[in-house]
Amino acid sequence: MKAKPRGNRSGTGTSAVRRMPWKHYLAQYWQFYVMAALPFAYFILFRWMPVLGNVLAFRRYRPLTGPYGVSWVGFRYFEQFLTQPQFWNAFRNTLILAALNLAVNFPLPILFALLLNELRATRLRKTVQTVSFMPRFISTVVVVSTLAQLLSPSGGLITRLLKDWFGVAPVYYMNEPEYFRPLYIATDAWQYTGWSAIVYVAAIAGISDDLYEAARIDGANRFQQAFHVTLPSILPTIMVMLILKIGNLLSLGFEKVLLMYTPANSSVSDIIDTYVYRVGLQSTANQYSYATAIGLFSGVIGLILVSSSNFLSRKLSGESIY
Amino acid sequence: MKKLLTLLLACMMLLPLIPVMAEETPITISLYYSDNPTLPFREDWPALRAIQEKYNVKLNIEAIPMADFATKVTLALSTGENTPDAIRGVSSAGQYAPFVLNGAAVPISDYTEWTPNFNARVEELGLQADLESIRLSDGKYYYLPMLWEKPIYDGGLILREDYLEKKGFAAPKTFDDLYQILKAYKEDYPDSLPLTTIINPGVLYRMTMPSWGISVGQYSASGTSVLSWDYDRKEYFAAAISEQYKDYISFFARLYAEGLLDPEMKQDDTSTARKLATGQAVATYGYYDQIGGWTDGTEIEGFKLNLYPVLTGPGGAHHQPRSRVGTGIMFPIGTAARPDFEQVVRKLDEVFYSEEAVKIWCLGIEGESYTMDGDRIVFADDITSSPAGVFKTMQNAYGCGTIQMVWYLDMEMTKYDENFAAINAAVAQMDNAIQPVPPTPFFDDLTAEEAALLQTTLYDAFEVWNDAFLTGKKSIEADWDAYVQEMTDKGIEKFCALYNEYKH
Amino acid sequence: MTAYSEKKPSGRRGRATDLCITAVMLVLLAVYVIPCLHIAAISFSSSRAILNDRVSLWPVDFTLDAYRQIFAYPTFLSAYRNTIIHTFCGTLISLVMTILFAYPLSKSFLRGQKTVMRLVVFTMFFSGGLIPNYLLVASLGLTGTRLGILIPFAISPFYLIILISFFRTIPVELEEAARIDGYGWFGILLHIVLPLSGAAIATIGLYTAVFFWNDWFYSLIYLKDSQYPAMLVLRNIVSGSSMAGQAGGVGANASLAIAVKSAVIIITTIPPVLIYPFLQKHFVKGMTIGAVKG
Repeated sequence: MKAKPRGNRSGTGTSAVRRMPWKHYLAQYWQFYVMAALPFAYFILFRWMPVLGNVLAFRRYRPLTGPYGVSWVGFRYFEQFLTQPQFWNAFRNTLILAALNLAVNFPLPILFALLLNELRATRLRKTVQTVSFMPRFISTVVVVSTLAQLLSPSGGLITRLLKDWFGVAPVYYMNEPEYFRPLYIATDAWQYTGWSAIVYVAAIAGISDDLYEAARIDGANRFQQAFHVTLPSILPTIMVMLILKIGNLLSLGFEKVLLMYTPANSSVSDIIDTYVYRVGLQSTANQYSYATAIGLFSGVIGLILVSSSNFLSRKLSGESIY
Repeated sequence: MKKLLTLLLACMMLLPLIPVMAEETPITISLYYSDNPTLPFREDWPALRAIQEKYNVKLNIEAIPMADFATKVTLALSTGENTPDAIRGVSSAGQYAPFVLNGAAVPISDYTEWTPNFNARVEELGLQADLESIRLSDGKYYYLPMLWEKPIYDGGLILREDYLEKKGFAAPKTFDDLYQILKAYKEDYPDSLPLTTIINPGVLYRMTMPSWGISVGQYSASGTSVLSWDYDRKEYFAAAISEQYKDYISFFARLYAEGLLDPEMKQDDTSTARKLATGQAVATYGYYDQIGGWTDGTEIEGFKLNLYPVLTGPGGAHHQPRSRVGTGIMFPIGTAARPDFEQVVRKLDEVFYSEEAVKIWCLGIEGESYTMDGDRIVFADDITSSPAGVFKTMQNAYGCGTIQMVWYLDMEMTKYDENFAAINAAVAQMDNAIQPVPPTPFFDDLTAEEAALLQTTLYDAFEVWNDAFLTGKKSIEADWDAYVQEMTDKGIEKFCALYNEYKH
Repeated sequence: MTAYSEKKPSGRRGRATDLCITAVMLVLLAVYVIPCLHIAAISFSSSRAILNDRVSLWPVDFTLDAYRQIFAYPTFLSAYRNTIIHTFCGTLISLVMTILFAYPLSKSFLRGQKTVMRLVVFTMFFSGGLIPNYLLVASLGLTGTRLGILIPFAISPFYLIILISFFRTIPVELEEAARIDGYGWFGILLHIVLPLSGAAIATIGLYTAVFFWNDWFYSLIYLKDSQYPAMLVLRNIVSGSSMAGQAGGVGANASLAIAVKSAVIIITTIPPVLIYPFLQKHFVKGMTIGAVKG
């Protein structure tokens, strides 16, 4: 019952194309190169050339001297943060928070999209979907302050409900380290589930009815159909999104963490970006070199993560980005 | 031949017109301005209009949102690209120091002949010593600062006056008085949190700590977070581990333990407003012009909030230190390349520091925003009848008190109600209630890096311990030595020595 | 949606499942709508009602004060106009560029494709940072012009990869049929690939539009104040009062009413929400895979 849309990933006749002599090849496919010319130029100019600026991580920056700094300092800035226990604390927090976030907030949009697909009442479905991505646009400042107000130990709505209905004593949730991670993940779920689901809804929309027809004829019920038709059909999308998300693992919502940070929960709420921000506040002299060094460090890790997940994905599911 | 002669004649007739025409084309100066959302910039502000007309200048003001002002300015200064002719609202200390030290700004003190008005104002207000304090290690100053005749006491202890009257309390003079008041309120209203905070505890700390002789934490006056300036000995000391700090945190820990201090110290302004308006809190450390908003939203009868003069603590009666010279106008180095640079400097000097101009910036236009009744200044009706108060209305509608650079005490006081003037007078009587800001040391690049690293480590540790002491998680008696040990291990002595070595 | 969901449920089990799913959806609806309603209610209520905690889901002491204040804000309307211009143009440019790059890159038999793909992925992690990018844009003379925000963000590697993966699911057979019919690759792109990719293009179009709609940081550093978008103005209003903690200067400390902040949220949330239903149509336009069978 497994159905998989045929793509041209493996490419019918790739080997044939590979063996073509250049003249023949270009005659057939020159249009592609024309198509890609302008975007390619864009990429070189705006995406690849600035990467040279990363050399700043190894040089001292002086204002007004261009983007490449004035003198080589080797690994000085790397040493500066790699030897700080606070940095590693921040690093550890980043990894844990990101991993938890991935575990919870990656499957949720998929489930949501699947559920939406099962909903027959068209109007309800459209309403829920539209409404579900409204929270995405509510500024983080408001989300955090609303949350703080709901959980306020001196009369917040949720605190009061817990006290009246369940007899739970008021706790200053926003201040306690144990609650930081769950609250962060819960607010992310509320804000982004509907939004992230859009990709999956679009993918599901493209699944041909024939596949479902075939499955129904084979006697599959709804759960089986969802499992054996819908999921496999959007597997390419899922894997691509997963690989991309893993690559972006280290970049968490800086603004939200900064707003939820208090000295009391700092042991878990300090992440790499907030750490860099705090250091930058203290001294802007080396800020750019320092931030570039950390950026390079995170970039290398991100690249390793993407490469490995891309490789694994290719081996396990046949899907990959490259 | 005849044609040539007529042409020549025509030219000769036009010749005398040239200087006149040149005079009439106004000089254009672009200026960065930090846009405060509560008084948004308007191109058609009467004060701005009047100034441009009077001084024949076109000020291209680029209003940058206050929240992001530093980002834009540091980017412009560090790259030298797209810099305006001048930037209003920067100094050569703190985050702007590295740029100034690396030649991104014009040393305006080199051109003191071009700033006669500024020099005159400094003389008049007796600010020579303060001007010295903004000079850098090369002896030059790099911006034309805001000048204050006397710092205004615009915020501090805000208390429910009606409650004091009801209970027959006198206005508090010391922190022990405050303690009594808070305790009484708690007894009357067991569910209350008498003393609350605005935004975050740092505001409370920076306003109250000076009365214990220290200033540490996020908004420490020295900017070091853990060191404070000893005004008598004129040097830095490790305030974070001092006896004064121990006293301070003991006092507030006691307030916290007895439920007199709101545990929710980090909260947004609506939360604070709620607590004050509903009577859940009776006091806070905030700003005078917030009182209006709090009073507006209350349903309590007789509700009256008032600002009180500085309370006396073990270290005297001191408020958050304020300088009499503030941030000011800096010229990016690119401006000096302008052929009419001298005109630019002279013009800005005139526009912001000449007596006439200052009057316009402060009071507006005679006949439009105010009239003179003999010696008294009478503001226009639309200003005096506005619920937001004279000062705020003039800021919003006229642009007075926005881009202003010189602040005379008496002139400013005419824009406030009598209550405020009385409070300021009381504070002015006190002995050095508002001390000057500690001087900034002359660091070079490498030392600055070293200091920054030490600071982050020390500050992070301090924050955690401070919070623990305050909330009782750690005992001030039992754990104090461990705390001092940790701070010493993290290098607080070294940090202090560094600052003292480079201070000036 | 596909015809699948329009079919009637079969049997009791089917109906029970339906009920469960509907129940879950209703709960979700509540979870999403209630906070938004609360914020909307606040934006229409009086400050007194708000501070005394009387506002829950419906405005109390209905007033348009907050909205009046926002519209009276000097730069608001022009800022909103800027946002619309930037979003529209930016999305258009971005879609064109991304499509033009995604199609060739989706063909793994093209020479150079693998290398370019690797480089594209590379750029997702190494971007050079603020200074080099800023200096580049400045040296091209783009700062202070609208192009400064429209061009540097034309292609996002993230969305590019998503589009590439969508293009790869289009059956080769369709393209081959078109080739036989004499279409060039541009023609195939226009007449076969694009119509079938409505959903994907609408998706990344939406994501891109939201990026431009919400952007404040890049607008701040690359544009002049007359070109600032609404989000920058609104962000200043919403977070400006927390500056009171840091400012401490005369007159800088009065805070804006929560009603104004809530009104700001409502104004920035409504337009994207209104546009989405129009895009939903494209998600329905499924693929005519049936054309291949038989």
